[in-house]
Amino acid sequence: MEPSRDTHATLVDLLDRILDKGLVINADIIISVAGIPLIGVNLKAALAGMETMLKYGVMQAWDEKSRAWEREHRKKNVLSLVEGEEIVLKMYGSYYYSKGIYNAWKPGYFYLTNQKLILYRQDFNEITFQIPLEEIKALVTREEAHFVKEKKKQVLCLIDKQDQVHRLSAVEINQLKDAIEQKLVTMGLSLESSPVLPEFEKGPIDFLIEGEEVTHRGEKVWYLVPASGSKQETWRPGHLYLTDKRLCWWYDFERKLVFDVPVDRIVTINTEMRKTSGLDSKKEKVLDILYEVNLTKRTASFAGKEIDEWAEALNRIISGKIEEEIETCPQCGKSAPAKELLEEGCSSCGWVSPVRDRKQKTENRGQKTEKTTA
Amino acid sequence: MAEARYLYCIVEGNEEITLGNIGIEDSSVYTISYQDLCAVVHNCLPEPYKSEDQEKMKSWVTAHEKVVEIAWEKFGTVLPLGFDTIIKGEEGVAPDENMKNWLKDDYENLTQKMGKLKDKAEYGVQIFWDPKIISEGLIETNPEIKKLSEEIKSKSKGLAYMYKQKLENLLKKEMEKEADRYFKNFYEQIRRCVDQIKVEKTKKPEEGKQMLMNLSCLLTKEKSKILGDELEKIDNMEGFFVRFTGPWPPYSFV
Repeated sequence: MEPSRDTHATLVDLLDRILDKGLVINADIIISVAGIPLIGVNLKAALAGMETMLKYGVMQAWDEKSRAWEREHRKKNVLSLVEGEEIVLKMYGSYYYSKGIYNAWKPGYFYLTNQKLILYRQDFNEITFQIPLEEIKALVTREEAHFVKEKKKQVLCLIDKQDQVHRLSAVEINQLKDAIEQKLVTMGLSLESSPVLPEFEKGPIDFLIEGEEVTHRGEKVWYLVPASGSKQETWRPGHLYLTDKRLCWWYDFERKLVFDVPVDRIVTINTEMRKTSGLDSKKEKVLDILYEVNLTKRTASFAGKEIDEWAEALNRIISGKIEEEIETCPQCGKSAPAKELLEEGCSSCGWVSPVRDRKQKTENRGQKTEKTTA
Repeated sequence: MAEARYLYCIVEGNEEITLGNIGIEDSSVYTISYQDLCAVVHNCLPEPYKSEDQEKMKSWVTAHEKVVEIAWEKFGTVLPLGFDTIIKGEEGVAPDENMKNWLKDDYENLTQKMGKLKDKAEYGVQIFWDPKIISEGLIETNPEIKKLSEEIKSKSKGLAYMYKQKLENLLKKEMEKEADRYFKNFYEQIRRCVDQIKVEKTKKPEEGKQMLMNLSCLLTKEKSKILGDELEKIDNMEGFFVRFTGPWPPYSFV
């Protein structure tokens, strides 16, 4: 293919360059209008057929994202340390970030310095988490079920002096734990030896059929038990379980499954703030699940602290999983499962997909537009 | 009385010469030198060139480009300026003096840039796709989309509507994912053939073609063959089109 210079389209391409670009000179020696160097400003407005502005379209956000991605990757951010602060260990990992309705594992690099533990996200130049070492009260590792279908994940729970629990994750999480402990020893500090971790209340899960695996579980979830006979519909406490086959709700008082639907029957989900009791005027976030049994549509409503996480877990099932294809990292070329690359970033160079953020946004938008009709 | 200098470009050289009446409105173009750098200019009034007349504008811009190209040909390396860069004089300071002072102050920066651009030219690469062909392809190959579009057929009117929305959302999401994937692949593919690359804003769709990426690439003219071959591969892909323009003076890399 030969480059061309003389068609109409190439003329536009050239004009873009002459009008928008070229060497920049400091403004005090060149002629400007109202302080604005006028390289081509008038001309652009006058010349028809030249589209230097992108019309608002489907791909605009994408276009901006890709350019932003490129920009980010040209300039490399560096974590700034205070004087006398030295890095002891740097490790790729993620931090469970939870603020308002935003809950997610944010990937980045853990920096253990002689003063602090930091999770730094280079691409956003963001310190997601940091704690002075002397504020660490205890460290405990535990296994947690990861979101959909994935293996168990080792999570390091860091308890600070305010008894707040922070969840950290990394492939070599124990190495990080050891390093922090060692550092604390050299500083003459010690950790609480057998800390009590505020555990999730775990309901019994003997209802599982053979080969069935729980992929998502969490804290107490309230279910709006439908009216039956003379009983009105009522919110009841229990536990929700997402398995690779079903979504089930276990009723704590009666110790049995009250709600149980195969995942492929779920049509759509929606979250909404609304009143859950007539007495209290406070609104709560409610997750509505529209599912279909025997060609009939039905709705089930759930409420609880972790509704957003449930919505996310369910949305992943509904919108489908990215297949387990192997991709190469666009930055360093490392091969890794596409899913991991897109969701967690590259474990060798720290690249994070620009789609990640957008995906979350689109999903949120999706939830809002797909109104459940019960 | 002319009291400003219209600046076309900076070149390497130390002679003050005249290039003839090749400038905007047939102005006489000449060089002002400082050490081994020359500014290519013509004398003008200290006000910008502007006009409501499109044809006039076009002829000015074309003249600007022609001067830059001639200087490029003659001096080898060129730092082009955008249209309407006019160096003014100030009280007690002639425009030429302003210009020389600027060349002096920025000397290091300019020669450094000059070194980087030696023997290189800029090429425009725009890759388009036909969203219709791509989405049709997705409906065939993406099992989830396929399943969903099959299911719609068997649904009642109300449900079908909801499914359709779901399908559209999914398709849009998958299209963006595809766009991302292709963007990165192409970017890598092209990056290997060039010295420098810049991602520009994409433009609005034309005739059913959506612009997937708009790049400015800096490379030696010899390498343009390799780049051309690579682009041909992309152009031959079903649903993709490539526009390859150049060689241009390195406007995007100064």
